[in-house]
Amino acid sequence: MEEYGRKLPVELKRYDDKSDIGTMANLIEKLILEDKVDFLFPPWGTAWLFAAAPIANKYGYILIGGPGGALKLKQIDLPYFFQVLNFSDTQAPALAEIFEEVGVKTAAVVYRGDLHGIEYGEAMVPFFEERGIEVKMKKSYPPGIKDMSSLLKEADGLNVDAFVAACYPDGGMMLTSQSMELGINFNAFFMTVLPFSPSLFKGTFGERGVEGVMGGGAWNAKTSPGARDLVDKFVNLFGEEPDYWGGLYYWASLQHFRQAIEKAGTLDQKKIRDIMASERFDTALGPYWYDEDRYFVNHPGEIGQWQKGVFEVIDVGEKRTAPPLYPKPPWPKKK
Amino acid sequence: MNGRITTLNRLQRGIVPLVLLAVFALSPLVLKQYALILLTNTFMYIILAVSWSMFSGPTGYISLAPAAFFGAGVYTSAVLGFALPFPLIVITGGLASFCMAFLVGALTLRLRGIYFVMFTFGLVELLLNFVLWWEVTVTGTTGRVVPPLGNTTVFYFMLAILACLLLTAFRLKHSKYGFALQSIGQGEEAAAHTGIHVTALKMNTFALSAFFMGAAGVVMATRWTYIDPRIAFNPTLSFLPVLMAIFGGLGQLYGPIIGAAIFTYLEEFLITRFPYHYMLIFGITMVIAIRYLPDGLVGLVQKAWKQWSRRKHGAAQG
Repeated sequence: MEEYGRKLPVELKRYDDKSDIGTMANLIEKLILEDKVDFLFPPWGTAWLFAAAPIANKYGYILIGGPGGALKLKQIDLPYFFQVLNFSDTQAPALAEIFEEVGVKTAAVVYRGDLHGIEYGEAMVPFFEERGIEVKMKKSYPPGIKDMSSLLKEADGLNVDAFVAACYPDGGMMLTSQSMELGINFNAFFMTVLPFSPSLFKGTFGERGVEGVMGGGAWNAKTSPGARDLVDKFVNLFGEEPDYWGGLYYWASLQHFRQAIEKAGTLDQKKIRDIMASERFDTALGPYWYDEDRYFVNHPGEIGQWQKGVFEVIDVGEKRTAPPLYPKPPWPKKK
Repeated sequence: MNGRITTLNRLQRGIVPLVLLAVFALSPLVLKQYALILLTNTFMYIILAVSWSMFSGPTGYISLAPAAFFGAGVYTSAVLGFALPFPLIVITGGLASFCMAFLVGALTLRLRGIYFVMFTFGLVELLLNFVLWWEVTVTGTTGRVVPPLGNTTVFYFMLAILACLLLTAFRLKHSKYGFALQSIGQGEEAAAHTGIHVTALKMNTFALSAFFMGAAGVVMATRWTYIDPRIAFNPTLSFLPVLMAIFGGLGQLYGPIIGAAIFTYLEEFLITRFPYHYMLIFGITMVIAIRYLPDGLVGLVQKAWKQWSRRKHGAAQG
């Protein structure tokens, strides 16, 4: 750190917001006003990010929006907010492109009745239709739902090629296990938030269970040398694989952040912000930069698919690490 | 002579709240920003706890609807945004909750005991899911952005609502309506036989208490800046005011105030010092408080005071 002529030690302060927006808003202001922290890291989840970004911005604190994201954030002018994760505006067209390539003709879309679900649910339909994929069913389900079997049966009855769910892990786990129990198998089975998690998804259903399931993401060890390094380090440290959606995105965003701080040589938020907004730095996923809206654009991948225990990137184009597996093999038989 | 004493008493009684109000009104000048935020939060809980006990305290009807009325205010704030001057939005939010409570009261205040509790809690879920459905199918979104206000502005609005509420609650408690509510709690049939218009009184008080919850919701939404149905209709906000009021003691107006203030402070203290154990400590504190303080903190203080004065009295005699 140039301004101080030495490396500065970092103290980490963490608070638990009980997943409550009011508590989160208070705690962020506590970090800024009481603890007078130098840098701020965001709370988890799209809604929380939405509430945190204006507060951080008000005090001129950089907020790198890791977990979560929504197009709607673009509507608010937040010069200190940086969006890292990809979401519906790049994932929906990528999925439609893959579906067209493999020959999906009809689809059912179900989505969680919240910001994440609605945004994805609404975003996907026009892209599907543009590519001649008929959306035969489009239904939302309430968060906290306890049974998805009627949705699955309805989609099965309509005989659709692809089942697409904009869900969170709770709903995703239910969709997967209930499809297995009911023996309902679609040619393409896609879920936004869940498949990317090796520990939760692959760990629960096994390598054969998740074979062919598609999910939002995506990257893997083959993406870049830096990505392989991250997987190795992560496995060494925690004994399990990192998540294959945000993992590399966040890691690279931090490497970019670090280089911006080093270049600024100060803890001044404004100076660091200006460098972050304009400079391109090399990271684990390759060159990393933000566009004029401060959205990260050089995504390592949009859509992943489990194939023989690897979450392959199946995007059409050069990011692809393996061709898509279609139709999806049937669920493993229960013993 | 007697007359002079009561006037003097009345004056004294009026002076203390006025001084307190003045102290709080001037506090933004000296307090740090974060202390102001905490105080705003405390005021919000006091508003919820006092307005809850305004109706449920004397009548014994346990309502778990605060989150519904608060949420109605939150949504009013989000829907109206900057369409109206903010004070008008606060009043609109309050009125929305008032009307809703009046309607709900008309339907349900015939129910007693556990049925009323269940219905009021169901109301929170009903509203949550209705708004969710409405936003998904009609407006095609669930999140709404609320225009933020400055911390000091939010503080003054919360203080103003609290002052109005305390004045209303105090006047109500010491009016004939307050006694009528008390008698409803002690025996509803008997109260009806003495000529009290039981249903109208219950409905009006229930709606009046909801007004303040709704107004507080409008103001708090501007601090949250982003809301969706799950955030607005948060069931925790139905339980906390009840716990706070019982913890403080229902017999006196200041019971819920003390309960809410201590609760809010305790939560803030535990969550920042013991982030991984605070729920456990919080729970244990609650169990102990409910087990050993049946009349709340106020009851404990009153008991201690009685014992102390008896002893003093006894010592003087001896």
